[in-house]
Amino acid sequence: MAILEGRNLRKTYRLSRKNTVEALKGVEVMIEKGEMVAIMGPSGSGKSTLMHILGLLHAPDANHGPAPELYLGGENMASLSDNARTKIRARRMGFVFQDFNLVPTLTALENVTLACDYAGIGGKQAKEAGVAALALVGLADRAGHKPSELSGGEQQRVAIARALVNKPEIVLADEPTGNLDSERSAEVLALLRQFNREHGQTIVLVTHDSDVGEACDRVIRMRDGRIRDQGQGAGTPVMAARAVAVAVAVPA
Amino acid sequence: MRLLRDLGRRKIRSGLTITGIMIGIMALVVFGSMANKIDALVKGGSDYYKDKVTVSAKGGYMGLGGVLSTRMVAQITPLDGVDVVVPGVSMLLSDDVSGVSMGTPSMINGSVANADQGRETFVMHYATGRALLPSDEGKNVVVLGSDLARQKKAKVGDTISLRGVDFKVVGILEATLTAPDNSAMVPLVAAQELYVKTLPTLIAGELNTYELATGLVVYPKAGVDPEKVADEIDAHVSGITTMTGKDFDQQIGAATSMLNAILVGIGLLSLVIGGLSVINTMAMSVAERTREIGIKRAIGASRWRIRREIVIESAIIGLIGGLLGLGLGFVITTMGNDAGRESSTILFDLTFGTAFSSVAFATVLGAAAGFVPAWHASRLDPVTALRYE
Repeated sequence: MAILEGRNLRKTYRLSRKNTVEALKGVEVMIEKGEMVAIMGPSGSGKSTLMHILGLLHAPDANHGPAPELYLGGENMASLSDNARTKIRARRMGFVFQDFNLVPTLTALENVTLACDYAGIGGKQAKEAGVAALALVGLADRAGHKPSELSGGEQQRVAIARALVNKPEIVLADEPTGNLDSERSAEVLALLRQFNREHGQTIVLVTHDSDVGEACDRVIRMRDGRIRDQGQGAGTPVMAARAVAVAVAVPA
Repeated sequence: MRLLRDLGRRKIRSGLTITGIMIGIMALVVFGSMANKIDALVKGGSDYYKDKVTVSAKGGYMGLGGVLSTRMVAQITPLDGVDVVVPGVSMLLSDDVSGVSMGTPSMINGSVANADQGRETFVMHYATGRALLPSDEGKNVVVLGSDLARQKKAKVGDTISLRGVDFKVVGILEATLTAPDNSAMVPLVAAQELYVKTLPTLIAGELNTYELATGLVVYPKAGVDPEKVADEIDAHVSGITTMTGKDFDQQIGAATSMLNAILVGIGLLSLVIGGLSVINTMAMSVAERTREIGIKRAIGASRWRIRREIVIESAIIGLIGGLLGLGLGFVITTMGNDAGRESSTILFDLTFGTAFSSVAFATVLGAAAGFVPAWHASRLDPVTALRYE
């Protein structure tokens, strides 16, 4: 079942009066529930722009072509207002960014519960969810530490906990291992895979890193604002194996 | 509180901004208290003069100046609308009037107790001792105002010296925050005898001491406009000048309103400067936190939520500055009053209203100053903000 579906996705950015950039030129994409998908491509390919549209950070352009369509869990998001998109990001999506981007004056737990706060969950419920999320990423004992007291890998794990605390339908990660060394990158990747495999968390990653691409079920390759290949990743055999297991189990 | 931690990010910058507000509020509190004191004095005077007519010698003012005669009582009493006329003798307590005093100078006031026959509406309350009585005439006894009693360290039963003459203290008034606080009330005869001593011997010799008056207080009949009584007196009695409550309000009230406006204006100006400092600080704070604002927006903070965080933070700057400014203003006004007490000059009246409104104003000013940076922050595109270096 598709959790995220997009058609006719276009985006042109106006840098100045005469200077525009056509970042996305009409893209069709589908993300299945439970998939872990990588979006890869050279600089300027439009992969970040696609991520921003899938993540409802920007709305797709409605002019110069057929009407864009963007469905999250079957609901059309394409023409929502900024406020409406913000609410959906708060409640149904999780974000992980390259630069960890934790609030420096808040503790690890407070950073995680910030996401609960924005989703309208407060008090004891938020605290419990925050503690549980930190435990899932193995940082329950660091809940009271500020980002300056955590390593890069730990900070990114806090960011992942923040992305997961509201049990979102989809997690979007923009170069989540970009600022980490290879050991920490592997840790973070393993964590994301664990959430995908064990909890069925749908994850979409933008990455330059081929190791990350290989760990995913599928790689979408982009060039010049279009999808070149909706692809397969090294993780596909696992998907195929699951499909076979289901096929074998079904006849009663 | 989490928001206090945000202020702690740049302690020196926050500290300087808060100091700016603190100084502005301190100025508002101090000058506001001065204005309160002036208002209280003026109101006291206005209330006192509103239902009577004061008669002085031409060239005199408020019963101080030239000499009148107690025989004028008989001249004025029969006039239309006049009920009771009370002669009085007033003089400065000390000839040494150094510098410009903010309050009223200390006075000796003499009149026959109960000569007003109950017409006087300004009621005096006694902290200790008793009021003067008609039977005190001929004795050297005195009732002191609260500030004067404190200055002379006098209690009921003590003997004090007024213009070189010993007087026994029989009563001390409660504080009124107006002129009676630094006056000494004596029987008419005692005042007349003291007054004569202030005149050159040659002149004194020509006068009948016990007919001397420096002012007459004329109480109108019930329901009669004091202005009409004043006009009557002006028309029938020569060599005198009259003053009513309306005259007092026009002359003194106008001057003090101007002074009030200047004082409070200075206070407000200091605060505007403080407010500009808050705008600058918050604008810098928002710029520094651009990426953080971007991430908050990305993970689901609404524009309103971002605005609220920043406005509350700048309101807290205002609140802290306001409380510190109030504290500092309180110290200054208390020390000022303590220092002035020796010379009966109480300059400041820091009321609860002044205190509360100063802090409230600082908080609102802080919030308002944060509004434009907050609006700007809330309009940032999350993606652009996230990438901000």
